[in-house]
Amino acid sequence: MTDLVLKNIGKTYPNGYQAIPSIDLVIEEGEFIVLVGPSGCGKSTLLRMVAGLETITQGDLLIKGNRVNDKEPADRDIAMVFQNYALYPHMTVRANMEYGLKNRGVPKEERQAKVTDVANMLGLDELLDRRPGQLSGGQRQRVAMGRAMVRDPKVFLFDEPLSNLDAKLRVQMRVEIRQLQRKLATTTLYVTHDQVEAMTLADRLVVLNKGKAEQIGTPMELYDKPATTFVAEFIGSPSMNLFDAMMTEEGIVLSDKTRLPMSHAHRGSVIWGIRPEHLQQSDEANADFSLQVQAVESLGAETLIHGLLEDGSGQPKPMVIRLAGPHLPEIGSYMWLIAPAKHWHLFDAVTQQRL
Amino acid sequence: MIENRPWLKMFSHFILVFGVLIIALPVWVALVGSTQPEGSFNSGSVPLWFGDHGVQNWAHVLFAEAGSTLQIPVWHLLLNSLIMALGITIGKIAISIISAYAIVFFRFPFRGAIFWVIFMTLMLPVEVRIVPTYQVIANLNMLNSYSGLILPLIASATATFLFRQCFMSIPGELVEAARIDGAGPIRFFFDILLPMSRTNIAAMFVIMFIYGWNQYLWPLIITTDDTYYTLVMSIKSMLSVPDGDIQWNYVMVTTLLAMLPPVAVVVGMQKLFVKGLVDAEK
Ligand SMILES: Nc1ncnc2c1ncn2[C@@H]1O[C@H](COP(=O)(O)OP(=O)(O)OP(=O)(O)O)[C@@H](O)[C@H]1O
Ligand SMILES: [Mg+2]
Repeated sequence: MTDLVLKNIGKTYPNGYQAIPSIDLVIEEGEFIVLVGPSGCGKSTLLRMVAGLETITQGDLLIKGNRVNDKEPADRDIAMVFQNYALYPHMTVRANMEYGLKNRGVPKEERQAKVTDVANMLGLDELLDRRPGQLSGGQRQRVAMGRAMVRDPKVFLFDEPLSNLDAKLRVQMRVEIRQLQRKLATTTLYVTHDQVEAMTLADRLVVLNKGKAEQIGTPMELYDKPATTFVAEFIGSPSMNLFDAMMTEEGIVLSDKTRLPMSHAHRGSVIWGIRPEHLQQSDEANADFSLQVQAVESLGAETLIHGLLEDGSGQPKPMVIRLAGPHLPEIGSYMWLIAPAKHWHLFDAVTQQRL
Repeated sequence: MIENRPWLKMFSHFILVFGVLIIALPVWVALVGSTQPEGSFNSGSVPLWFGDHGVQNWAHVLFAEAGSTLQIPVWHLLLNSLIMALGITIGKIAISIISAYAIVFFRFPFRGAIFWVIFMTLMLPVEVRIVPTYQVIANLNMLNSYSGLILPLIASATATFLFRQCFMSIPGELVEAARIDGAGPIRFFFDILLPMSRTNIAAMFVIMFIYGWNQYLWPLIITTDDTYYTLVMSIKSMLSVPDGDIQWNYVMVTTLLAMLPPVAVVVGMQKLFVKGLVDAEK
């Protein structure tokens, strides 16, 4: 059953700025959807429109089949977790979690039972009588989630809930959020600009660019077949190497030095891309091209090698290679590389769309 | 700046002690004077040590009559002052907190203009508009009444402004969280806004109580019946006796009594007051 439907949703702010031209999205029950994109692309705007905190200036929003465009946030049966948690500072953890239920007239025993349940699930039992000021950032984050969970809403909305946590806690909470969501099977809309978070959490990802959905799909679809250069660069870390190239009878021509053979090629300008992890080291005889090493980042389990490669624009462009294990090529030396054809990504130079 | 020079230390201590003396001496004189028998000031000397009429004087002034031209006991004046000061304080806080709430959290036409009009009334304290205000109060038959004492002083641009600043520092996400939690405007006001601004309310309470307590000109003008006299204004009338025979010992008791409630309020609310002025615990 579809849970949340965005039909031609658009937003123009009162000052005339069109933050979101039009988005269509159908979300199934229990799905975990991540909205991802660079800063200012309209992720929060979209989420806040679903929440009812921002008016919808175009299109329809359906929750469980009901049009909720004009409903108050409280009447939409959604719960939201904010980036800075937005806990009521003068209330105890218990009161914070209870407040929404209380306003809905849930009787006291039921409220307390629910709070106890959720507190158990999140490991908050010990903290129920503290105030938000007496909690650590991670604990506050949990309380914010607890406050959303006790209401047992139809849809969870998260706006960058982990961005105020340190790296380790973020990973831990990421896993936990995913587990909780599976367990509760509540439809979830999650905003982040962190692509690792996006990849690991999402059933489906929506990559937003300037208010437009560039691509909607599972994380692996987006990784394997990015629809546009924007998605190609955004998904994956380090991001995909993209080069201007010409497609001729001989294949892909980046520059006089770099030609990649390819059968039944059309002619025209293209953008050729390959992910850092798909480039392989080889000997001179088998190599597709060579790269002068500019910098080496050793991360232990893997090594990132930065180099420069001349492309169709005539300028040397940076290329990143990701190799497993430790490697220590000398700076300034040349490396011979193979770019396997099955890992190529080709995009139209004008429309930036995948070919 | 940490200086460690002995003479400088001594000098600063001297300045501080001197300051304390300047402030404390009149209080001391009042305290001592309130224990003297009648007429001990008349010779022109100022007694510096306690006399033996303390209990007598205090009991007389508090429960019998204030002395000089005033025939009513000071407890009644105290009560009047308290009613007026509390009425002004509570009224000011209630009205300004509601106006600030409207100005900060609601979108209505001319919102900005209304705020600036309120702000401009800062230039119109009671002393400036005293004649027209008197006219209005007289026409409304409120001379010699508590409402006449309180109402004209109750609007406060200062408090509105302070509460506005306080409300504007509340993060927008908190307001949104409350909206999602189903708190309407009234619930939000009582459940979130009031508890969150309690320290500011306390600070306002102290400032406004002292303001109300110290009102002099207004009560002087609109009360002619001494059952509505306030303590602060009646000290003046205790001094203006026709033949210059001022009962200083009684005056001193009254003065001290007039000082006590503000001191009590400041001491009692000190912790909250300081928090409200400096704290950013939001
Ligand atoms: N109230 C507003 N009035 C006008 N424009 C706005 C308003 N709020 C946001 N915008 C604009 O809409 C665009 C999208 O904003 P939004 O907050 O949705 O970005 P975001 O994707 O959440 O970014 P971030 O990752 O930085 O949070 C931005 O260009 C922003 O400047
Ligand atoms: Mg945002």
